[in-house]
Amino acid sequence: MNEWHVPDDLRAAYLGGGLPDATAMSVEAHVESCSACQAAFPADGAWLETSWAAIADVVDRPRPRPLTRFLTALGVPGHVAVLLSATPGLARSWLLGVAGALAFAVFAAHTADRSMIVFLAVAPVLPLLGIAAAGARADSLYEVIAAAPIPRTRVVLLRALAVLVTALLVTALAARALPDYTAAWLLPALALSGAVLALGTRIAPHHASALLTCGWLAVVLAGREAVFAAPAQTVYAVVLVPFIYLGARRWNRL
Amino acid sequence: MEPTLTVHDLTRRFGRRTALEGVSLAFGRGVTGLLGPNGAGKTTLIRVLATTLAPDAGRVAAFGLDPADREQRLAIRRRLGYLPQSPGAYPHFTAFELVEYVAILKEIDDRRARHDEVRRVLAEVDLGDRAHTKVRRLSGGMRQRLALAQALLGDPDLLILDEPTVGLDPEQRMRFRALLSRLGASRTVLLSTHQTEDVTTLCERVVVMRTGGVVFEGTPGELAAQAAGQVWLTTTPPEGTFWRTPDGRYRTLGHRPPAAVPGEPGVEDGYLLLLGGEQVAA
Repeated sequence: MNEWHVPDDLRAAYLGGGLPDATAMSVEAHVESCSACQAAFPADGAWLETSWAAIADVVDRPRPRPLTRFLTALGVPGHVAVLLSATPGLARSWLLGVAGALAFAVFAAHTADRSMIVFLAVAPVLPLLGIAAAGARADSLYEVIAAAPIPRTRVVLLRALAVLVTALLVTALAARALPDYTAAWLLPALALSGAVLALGTRIAPHHASALLTCGWLAVVLAGREAVFAAPAQTVYAVVLVPFIYLGARRWNRL
Repeated sequence: MEPTLTVHDLTRRFGRRTALEGVSLAFGRGVTGLLGPNGAGKTTLIRVLATTLAPDAGRVAAFGLDPADREQRLAIRRRLGYLPQSPGAYPHFTAFELVEYVAILKEIDDRRARHDEVRRVLAEVDLGDRAHTKVRRLSGGMRQRLALAQALLGDPDLLILDEPTVGLDPEQRMRFRALLSRLGASRTVLLSTHQTEDVTTLCERVVVMRTGGVVFEGTPGELAAQAAGQVWLTTTPPEGTFWRTPDGRYRTLGHRPPAAVPGEPGVEDGYLLLLGGEQVAA
């Protein structure tokens, strides 16, 4: 029969956290099998329950998706990162499409007498399809999202922002491969993104995206380099704000 | 008792088609079944009540709040659990991730609280051991239970379920009914269904819809009573539509065939007679 029990001074040292690991483990091994010592150690039921629940959560919770981890590392709050990781517009097919279109435009710039008109024409419309998908009925959880208390504006704008930032980063990287670096596509891209948000509540977002893409390409075809000159850039900067405001207001009403 | 949910003179059109016409109803605590054939307007009514579709005319109120007002609409949604007819899913997500995603949409922002709630609802629908399985690997019945789990997030006061028993096998359906009857004891549950059996075993009240209007409102017993004196059993096949019973006799509805004896009317008999001859013949 085991007559040894944890002495008061050893118990106090253990509770104070001052014991070496090996001694602490010996104490724990003894207490596990000794009811007299268990009774001598203070126990807080509520604290134990909370602690076990916290441990269970750490053990049982799923490993965050790579995109969620990346966003969290950038300082995005956890729940927003999870929300963004499900952005339909960020589908692999869209990313591949963006990369393919940019590769073609860069290739064209190198072969067609250093003309960057193809790149400048294509780059601003790349985010549109992804942004259109941000609030689209094509989202398989559309009806569930529609009945959720989170304001729809928040979901749509967060998703649109995620798509836009991704498209802009990829485009900026591709622009480095151009014969002459240019950022003349940036303001048209932002203005068109705002326009698709504003128009996407009036007509189906993918129709809005197609309409704006065709319109933009027609304007570039007619105006050529003038479409990217300073006066035109001022127009894009001016229309950008009301487009985003209108878009946000309309999504808000849904 | 004050009803949780009321609609008054509700009308909704899609182009030239009228999906709802002058519908007025009130729903209180307990489980109410919404029965009707395809195209009767059930899903349109459900979507209006779930605040995902605005009516063209008429008034809706949930918990005394008006969904036409944005702030009040969000307040209703905070107390609502909704299972749409086609709930959808992201197949590359796990069951846990999908429900967690909806929990974020339901504004459960604290991670620990959210995880606990996700585990609770997955356990409620008996999917606790499938939490980390990808949605695409779940069977149809499991996906339906997963969709139900998201509707239960936040312990809502109002549950609106559009055809929740589709795809469930008999055992799952029985568990589902047990869960809903438990939930219905303290909150308002509205479910649309094609299964008269769901209504018989689960609902305290039933509403039958046809071509955009309400043709019956009452208890399942009252619906069955609609067929009193119109259910017949014969030993030889009668004229018109009939079906064979397990004891080898023939059951038919409507006029009494020669040498027929009266049968016990059920909810399905009352429902079929309410829908008219063409439904019985279908």
